[in-house]
Amino acid sequence: MPHLFKTRRTSTWLAFALAGVLALCAGLYFGGIGEDGNVTDLRGKDAAMLFGLALPDTSGREQSIGQWKGKVLVVNFWATWCLPCRDEMPEFVKAQRAFGGRGLQFVGIAVDDVGKVKDFAAELGLNYPALIGGFGAIELSKSLGNRLGALPFTVIVDRSGRVNHTHLGPIKEADLNAIIMQLL
Amino acid sequence: MNFRITRALAFAAVLVALSSNRATAEPKLLEPERAFAYSVQAVDAKTVEARFAIASGYYLYREKLKFTVEPVALASAPAFPPGALKDDEFFGNVETYRGQLAVRLPLDGALPGLKVTVRAESQGCADAGVCYPPQVQHVTVVLPAPGGRPGAPVAATPAKKSWFN
Repeated sequence: MPHLFKTRRTSTWLAFALAGVLALCAGLYFGGIGEDGNVTDLRGKDAAMLFGLALPDTSGREQSIGQWKGKVLVVNFWATWCLPCRDEMPEFVKAQRAFGGRGLQFVGIAVDDVGKVKDFAAELGLNYPALIGGFGAIELSKSLGNRLGALPFTVIVDRSGRVNHTHLGPIKEADLNAIIMQLL
Repeated sequence: MNFRITRALAFAAVLVALSSNRATAEPKLLEPERAFAYSVQAVDAKTVEARFAIASGYYLYREKLKFTVEPVALASAPAFPPGALKDDEFFGNVETYRGQLAVRLPLDGALPGLKVTVRAESQGCADAGVCYPPQVQHVTVVLPAPGGRPGAPVAATPAKKSWFN
């Protein structure tokens, strides 16, 4: 009887150990531990590089990103040829309308040409600046942690000018609002 | 016995959740050259075939797909297979490709033994909700002799040496 008990305990232990190894492998395979692998985590880093930048808006006027320092800044890299980018922009328009008065500023950087951006901005009723970055903006987004250079890519900077959040792909409205509320 | 298995599985589930915590929010995406793996094969003395092996969950836009060849020219416009139609509010109906795409390129002024570089410009997206910027890839193949055997397919990006890919 004691012998049987011991065997049973050993096999239970083995079942747990095997399950653990399999689970860790699955975790590594599906996401890696601690990092999702799509973006380089720049949380807490100074966004000075971004604030030193100036890009033309849809009317050709150079706009310095530095003019929005001190606000909660949401920089969104997008393009008209990127459907998921266009799909999430009405959310940004809504948030800008709701929280703009409290110090929230969205800025779109388009990996695109001015004509298409103008058309789409008019169609959507864009209420925040759309700056024209062209394909060079992909490199800029990479230096902000966008390892794959894909779109949409969003960087949220706090009032002190530090990166609070970087995100590749559409941001869920609830997640975005939670981050914004925390920083305002 | 059943209880033990259930307990072990529950333990495994918790570990998976812990080790892939952020992956649940953001699916892990492929590098563009792996999501859209480009290769070229010299089919005969006057034809090359450009191919894209498009990973599951990814697609390419037909309109953004462009092929050019050097040092020869294309004898005619490449014949693209029909793609799937996707309705886009801003651009109207757009055609997309998934899975395997092969496009034959007839060459003008080709010579057996000639090295031909086939340049592909492509742009695609992932169902996970991201789009990649247009990318340009080059592959050089050698044309076989008339009646000779087709060359081996040449990949633009060598296969990744990894256990998991």
